[in-house]
Amino acid sequence: MTDQELLERYYDSRENDWLGILLQRYTLLLLGVCMKYLKEEEEARDCVQQIFVKVITELGKYRVVYFKSWIYTIARNHCLMKLRDQHGHPAELSDAMLAAWDDEPGSNKHWEKEQWLEWMGQSLAALGKEQKLCVILFYLQKRSYQDIAIETGFTLMQVKSHIQNGKRNLKLLMEKRAREKAN
Amino acid sequence: MNKDLLNILANSNKDIDNQQLMDYLSGDLSGAPLHDVERSMADNAFLNDAVEGLQSIGSKKNVQKYVDELNAALHKSIAKKKQRRLKRRLRETPWAYVAVLLVIVLCVLAYVIIRKVLVTH
Repeated sequence: MTDQELLERYYDSRENDWLGILLQRYTLLLLGVCMKYLKEEEEARDCVQQIFVKVITELGKYRVVYFKSWIYTIARNHCLMKLRDQHGHPAELSDAMLAAWDDEPGSNKHWEKEQWLEWMGQSLAALGKEQKLCVILFYLQKRSYQDIAIETGFTLMQVKSHIQNGKRNLKLLMEKRAREKAN
Repeated sequence: MNKDLLNILANSNKDIDNQQLMDYLSGDLSGAPLHDVERSMADNAFLNDAVEGLQSIGSKKNVQKYVDELNAALHKSIAKKKQRRLKRRLRETPWAYVAVLLVIVLCVLAYVIIRKVLVTH
């Protein structure tokens, strides 16, 4: 059964058992997110339980459509609030935290394929050396993070960062070109 | 190559399940399955954050143990809530339940009496 079907069953019956099945699918991911932000295993486990309670309480109040994105937002905000309470100041949002590239796949389908390809080639060439190298190795040669780290001498974190920033910059460059064409 | 170039900006539509994720964390994946997970991580901030967090947990056995404990606690809490809701409903509308019970008892009684009458005749 898909997440969407479980959610529908929950909204139809208001039985929390459906939520139990749905939430269980996300326990591992939630534990990981809480660990990333809070760094302490015990604290992360408590935090996951608090997120469960929050989800069970909040989900009935309005109709959620994209559960995965919604629960990620709930989890991240909950962790950031905990960090703020602990340190007395808002946690700095890293690039990764702000990564919001979950655009609908295929949203650019209206672009002509040839035009798109030409722009992609140009945008890729315009990327910084490290980002270009990592994007090519990862997306075009389908190499793993570890392989890329060994080949380039970057750390794993640097590899991930170059890939993510490279993709984001590619997207920005493509959007810029699309805007220029529209004008 | 061209197709891959086009795909850089398209988000991965592969859903990575928990088993694949555990295999990735344990270093049991290679080749295409390894790339699938990392491709999804690059496209999906939720998965990427989760992997980074899970990698910081020392023992992978602990990860599974924590998940099992959290799931057990979740189901226990849901069952408790259900019971509490049922009790509250009973407290709020006891007469409705008494009336239903009374109707059932009357039906059973009527059945027994009618049956007895039929047997004696």
